Amino acid sequence: MNDKQLRGFVSYLIKNKHTVFSHTDEEGKIKIKKIDTGKDFTLCPKRPLYSFKKFFLPPCQKMMVLSDDETTLNRNPNEKIVLLGLHFYDLKAFTLINQVYRKDPHFQKKLRNAIVIGQSPIPAELEDYQKFEKEVLEHLKFDIFLEAKSHGKQESFRIFTGSEDGQRLLDDFGYRDYENIEYVGPVPKKGLGPINSMLIEKIKKSCGSKIWKELGEKCTDCGKCTIVCPTCFCFKIKDEIKKDEILRSREWDSCFYEEFSEISGGHKFLDTTEKRIYNYYDHKFVRIPEEYGMPGCISCGRCTEVCPAGIDIRAVIKRIIKEN
Amino acid sequence: MKNQYEPIQTEIVKIEELSPINKLFTLRIKNEQTQNAFKFRHGQFFILSVPGFGEAPFGFCSSPTIKETFQVSVDKRGSLTTKLFEFKVGADIGIRGPYGNGFDRKKIKNRNLVLVAGGCGLSPLRTIIQDANLHPENFQNIQIFYGCRNSELLAFKKDYTDWSKNIEINLTVDTPDKKWKNNVGVVTNLLTLEKIKSDSVAILVGPPIMYKFVIQKLVELGLSDEDIYVSLERRMHCGIGICQHCALVGGKYVCTDGPLFSYAEIKDTPEGI
Repeated sequence: MNDKQLRGFVSYLIKNKHTVFSHTDEEGKIKIKKIDTGKDFTLCPKRPLYSFKKFFLPPCQKMMVLSDDETTLNRNPNEKIVLLGLHFYDLKAFTLINQVYRKDPHFQKKLRNAIVIGQSPIPAELEDYQKFEKEVLEHLKFDIFLEAKSHGKQESFRIFTGSEDGQRLLDDFGYRDYENIEYVGPVPKKGLGPINSMLIEKIKKSCGSKIWKELGEKCTDCGKCTIVCPTCFCFKIKDEIKKDEILRSREWDSCFYEEFSEISGGHKFLDTTEKRIYNYYDHKFVRIPEEYGMPGCISCGRCTEVCPAGIDIRAVIKRIIKEN
Repeated sequence: MKNQYEPIQTEIVKIEELSPINKLFTLRIKNEQTQNAFKFRHGQFFILSVPGFGEAPFGFCSSPTIKETFQVSVDKRGSLTTKLFEFKVGADIGIRGPYGNGFDRKKIKNRNLVLVAGGCGLSPLRTIIQDANLHPENFQNIQIFYGCRNSELLAFKKDYTDWSKNIEINLTVDTPDKKWKNNVGVVTNLLTLEKIKSDSVAILVGPPIMYKFVIQKLVELGLSDEDIYVSLERRMHCGIGICQHCALVGGKYVCTDGPLFSYAEIKDTPEGI
C-alpha cells in the first residue's frame, strides 16, 4: 500500500463514521489528535509523549451510577474509534494492558469499539520475515499493522491484519494485498528471554542496596513517569456525590503518591521515596514479567524524558545489572 | 461481560453495638439465587460499598457454615465506617466478593490450633471460632490468645461464655481497670512452653508490631514457619489483583494471594510484615 492509498483508506474510515485519532506534528511536537481527513496525520518515527493509553484507560472513567441501579456500561454510545499509528513498542504496551484487563468489562467495551492500526519498520535484527511474524507480530494485539519500508519518509507499507475487523475494513475499502496474522497470545515461545529473566533476579537482589537510597533522595515523587508510561495501569476507585446522582469512578493513581499504600489508621507501607521507587521498578521488572510473561517496560523512554530529577531508567537498569 | 465491580445488593438484618466504637452487622444477600451461590471460606474477605463514601475491604466474621446471612464487625474509624454507623436495620448496602485465597481447612484438621489476635484482629478469626463451636467434631483443640488496649474494647465479649465450652480463651489488656482480674501486658507473654504445643498451627491477626514479636516467640517454641499464618492488611481498591495498592514487593498480592500467608511464604518479602 502506498502513501496515497493509505490516506485514501483513512479518509474512507472517516467517511464511514469512524472517529480517527492519529499522530500530528505540531512544530516538531508529536501529539495524538482527532483528524478530519486522510491528509492530516503523520507517521514519523518519533513517538508522542502521551501514548494511546487514555483511549482504553481514561484518566477518570465513570464505572457506575450507584443511585440508579444501572451501570454506565450499558449507557455509553457505541462510538467506533480508530487509533492510527501506534509504534511497535506502544503495541507491546497495549498488548500487555489488554492482558491485565482481559476480564474488565469497561476496558473490553472500549476495545470492542476500537480499531488499532500499528506501524513500524522491522527492527534490523528481525529482517527475516518469518522470524518477525513468529517472534513479534503473532504476539501483538492489533487490527491492522503497517510495516514501513524504512525509518525515513515512508512511501509504501506492507499490510498485515490481526483481526477480522481489520480484514473486513480493508476488503470493504477494496484493498486485498494483505497478509493475515493469527494472534496466538502475548507471550512468545521463548518466553521472557534471557535479558528480562536475568533482570528479575538482579532487581530482587538489588533490594535494599544503595542505588535505591540514592534514587530515593533524587526522586521528587511527582508521579510524572507513571502518567506518561504506557504500561502504568494502577488505579483507585472513588465515589462522588453529585446533585442528583452518586457516581463511582476509576481514576489513574500513582504509586509515588504517599496515600497509595495508606490504610485505616494512617499507616503507610510505602512510607519513603526509596521504598516507592523500588516498588515501581519491582512492578515493571519483577511482578509484571512473573505474572504475565512479558516485560513491564517497553523501552519507550517517556519516563526519562519527563523526569524533573533527571532519572534515566536505562542508566538505572545498566547500573543494577553491573552492581548485582 | 460480568461487571466485577458491581456490588451485590444486601440488606442489613441486624445491628448489635458491641463496644462504643464497634458494631456487628448481620447482612443478607437480597437475591435468593445469588445468596444460594454465595459461599466463602475461612480467611476470605469482601469489599463493602457505601454509595458516596466508596469501598473498603472487611473480613467475614461469622461461620461459613451459616447460610442465608453473614456478619461483619466494624470499628468506627474513617468516613465510610462513620457513615455505615448511621445505617439502620432494613437499609441496603453493597458488597463484592468473596475475595482472597481463603484458608484450606485440611491444613488444620487433626492439629491443635493457636489463634493469636490483637485489637480488632479477633474479628476475622471468629469465622473459625464460631465454626469450631458449632461443629466441634471437625476440629481439635483450639486456644485463643487475645490482647487488647483495655477491657472496654475487647471484641465479642458476650460470646466468650459460649465459646469457652469447647475453646480455651486467654485474655490480656494493656491498661486494666479496677474490675479486671485477668492478664495484663502484651499477648506475647501468654505464649509459653507450658501452654503451646510445638506441633500446633498458629493463625495471627493483629497489628504488624504484634506479628514481629509473636512470630519470634512461636518459632522459639518450636512451631515451623509453614505452620504460622499471618493475615496482612493493605490498602485495596479492586480486590482482584490489578490496582496494585496491596502488592507486596517480589510478586504477591494480598487481595488474591492472601490475606492469610504462611510465615514461610513471606518471611523473605521486604516490608512484608
